[in-house]
Amino acid sequence: MKKIFDRLVRSQVWRSIFRHGLPESNRTRAEAIFFNFFFHLHPTKVRKRSIKFTYTWGLGGISFGLFIVLVITGALLMLYYRPSVPQAYGDMKDLQFVVSSGQFLRNMHRWAAHAMVAIVFLHMLRVFYTGSYRPPKEFNWVIGVILFVTTILLSYTGYLLPWDQLSFWGISVGTNMIRAMPFGIGEMISFLLLGGNIVGENALVRFYVLHCFIIPVAAILLMAIHFWRIRKDGGV
Amino acid sequence: MNKLRIYFAISSVVFLFVLAISPLKDFFSEWRGYQLAYNEIIKELPQRIQPVDIGIKQLWVRKLDVVDRCTTCHLGLKEKALVNAKEPFRSHPHIYHDFEEFGCTICHNGQGSATSYKESKGKVKYWDKPIFPREYMEASCGKCHKEQVVIQAPILSLGRKLINEYNCAGCHKLEGRQRQWVPSLNGIGSKVNRSWLVNWLKNPKAYFATAKMPNFQLSDDEANTIADFLMTFKSFSNNAILEPLPSLLIQSSESQTATLVEIGSTRLRESRCISCHPFNGKGGYVATDLGKVASKVNLRWLYNYIKNPKHFQPNVEMPRYRFNNNDLTGVVAYMNSEYVDFDMAEPPSHTPDPLYYEKGLVLVKKYNCRGCHEIENIKNSEELGPDLSFIGSKKLYEIDFGLSGISQSLSSYIFTKLKSPRTFSSKMKMPNYELSDEQAQAIAVALLGNTSEQIPEELKIKPKPASTFTPQGKFGKLVNDLACFGCHTMFGRGRLVATDLTLEASMAKQEWIDHYFKVPYSLRPILTERMPNLFLSDDEIKTLVDYMEKVFIADSLTNDILINEATVAKGKLLYSEKYGCGSCHQINGKGGFVGPTLDKVASRLQPGWILHWLKNPQAYKPESIEPNNNFTDHEAEAITAYLMTLH
Repeated sequence: MKKIFDRLVRSQVWRSIFRHGLPESNRTRAEAIFFNFFFHLHPTKVRKRSIKFTYTWGLGGISFGLFIVLVITGALLMLYYRPSVPQAYGDMKDLQFVVSSGQFLRNMHRWAAHAMVAIVFLHMLRVFYTGSYRPPKEFNWVIGVILFVTTILLSYTGYLLPWDQLSFWGISVGTNMIRAMPFGIGEMISFLLLGGNIVGENALVRFYVLHCFIIPVAAILLMAIHFWRIRKDGGV
Repeated sequence: MNKLRIYFAISSVVFLFVLAISPLKDFFSEWRGYQLAYNEIIKELPQRIQPVDIGIKQLWVRKLDVVDRCTTCHLGLKEKALVNAKEPFRSHPHIYHDFEEFGCTICHNGQGSATSYKESKGKVKYWDKPIFPREYMEASCGKCHKEQVVIQAPILSLGRKLINEYNCAGCHKLEGRQRQWVPSLNGIGSKVNRSWLVNWLKNPKAYFATAKMPNFQLSDDEANTIADFLMTFKSFSNNAILEPLPSLLIQSSESQTATLVEIGSTRLRESRCISCHPFNGKGGYVATDLGKVASKVNLRWLYNYIKNPKHFQPNVEMPRYRFNNNDLTGVVAYMNSEYVDFDMAEPPSHTPDPLYYEKGLVLVKKYNCRGCHEIENIKNSEELGPDLSFIGSKKLYEIDFGLSGISQSLSSYIFTKLKSPRTFSSKMKMPNYELSDEQAQAIAVALLGNTSEQIPEELKIKPKPASTFTPQGKFGKLVNDLACFGCHTMFGRGRLVATDLTLEASMAKQEWIDHYFKVPYSLRPILTERMPNLFLSDDEIKTLVDYMEKVFIADSLTNDILINEATVAKGKLLYSEKYGCGSCHQINGKGGFVGPTLDKVASRLQPGWILHWLKNPQAYKPESIEPNNNFTDHEAEAITAYLMTLH
């Protein structure tokens, strides 16, 4: 058994993937973190206090986990969903009635989205109460606040996609609220969002692109910076 | 730390379990159970039926852009052997349409994309087209079939007929429905007696049960005010003026009156008023009941009106009888003595409101009397009632059910509204038509078919454009004066109370038509409608007959046939033995009562007509019950030859 393991570790394939030995000394343990793409964000040293679960409650990690769930289920939903007025509602009904586990996918996407908004908010509270926004971490707090806004925007843009009465009026009311902004800015933003003056075909496509591409990509970029900064500042 | 690992392990197992539930739910779905049950059931049947491959089935109707998955569970729709099987496997009743071509939800409603019982019936939240109740099914025919009569949908057709009859289009916007002619109210002050008018306004059906005017549920005050208001309309349209009554009617001795009444009674019978007018419920259905008319109108109006109906009601479909003065006086005297309402309640005395004109005008506008009746100087308040063009697509959240407590569906709303229009709010204005359940249901069916669904134009059956046949010249004037279109149809225009005259001259011999105008009689022993004697002059008859001989004729129907003893004998044998024509037709008093008597048929009908008629009766009268016996040419000729010997 041990022989096979040794041969495996010494093989060309293994050594090309893991370019350090087994984490047996301080140096190799540090290398294991440096040279791994998934671990490279980690700080080399972490304070014992901050590993304690009740200090962070793992809320940031859970948010990220939910984001992954949303990306996976969302990608699968995109296979069946067409963002066009005659088809959108029917596609949703098809997901519900004939796609294998389609209803499960929709439910998972929906509940994960709800949970993400709640968890991200709790994460923000935790950061506030532990005072983690204080210098030198103030920039990361700002990124976090922007991430919170992207989370809510993702939720809101997804609301239109089922194309039923609830979503139609939800978006109508929302964009009309935007129109209340003074100096004609509101009208401009609302027009830009809807691609017109009413919730119609253009609005559906715009919200689809925002929901599935623009906002998620922005969120991923911001998250990368967010995580990187956390590690550099000695967080988990 | 170890504790955390345990939590992690447990939650992982839980999530894995949750992930497994979903495919399991798919596998144990409702429809799979039905499909397995179907395959079991058909095994026990003596007939061989193809078992179903397990899987979701669907009908895709491209032209309607519809996907219906009802056939996932309704598996035996096409199997005749499953007529009595239990649902959902029962075969579909035979209808004209193929469901594979049109899908299910276009007629039945419900949620076609669903694959579970509850969802597919559509009686769930957020689905606004639940499955149609069976008694309202024919409404769906009306989505595409916009013609007046849909033969395979009798309830729908009845509803459309009633909508026309009750003049719903007077107040409501209704696509394809025309306003009916209703008497104009100009001159009503010179026509009716005020007590009658008050009673009538309060409850028209109390005067005659068949009255078409609905009950507006007016209070005593309202009825009196409207009556006072209407009694001010003394002058007729076109400045028509009532002539004074002949002196004989006003002051005559008892014996003179008796002779007058005697003459009137005879003339009234000869002119067959009863063909169109019922008298106390007995008689025709085209015109108003005359059983109590002498208590309704004053004599002077009656005299003038019979003398020239169109002078006072320009579009009325009543013929102008050619009575001489004496006969006319007699008819009026007879009606005055006979058709009196002895039980008419005298309304309680009433002091007119000084503002009766203004208040009356407001009421007449409020209840939109103008929707049906023409009234001088009052404009029609267009579409006073709600637009009913798309009532079938009305959403439940748009309806106020009030405190009615009825089941919350569109069909029961419309039904209740028709039965008692003010149930939902006492402020509503719709009058009560006192419809029977069948009538209300039929109208509801017709209305529910008015949907805003996008039906491709090529699938819609549109009503035929109305015929614009308007005869000109002397004949045209006579046709108008005699209101022929009130009973007869010519080239697609007119009512079908009596025969279609389009091919009359090809059918009947000239001498017979000529004679018929003088002494009209019934061709069939059991027929109720009868042609009135209009007392036409010889000149007028000549005009009519000459025109008919030129226009109401088709050259393709003129055939001469050979009449010799052999064919006549053969025809007689065919008539009496092979085809048993005598079971419906009479000759010499022997035979059935259904068809016309054939005693003197040779002097009535053209041989060419008989020949073509025998070969295909329905080609000339689609509703004829004469069977198409598929005669050979020889047989038809022989029967014709035989009939042409019956002078």
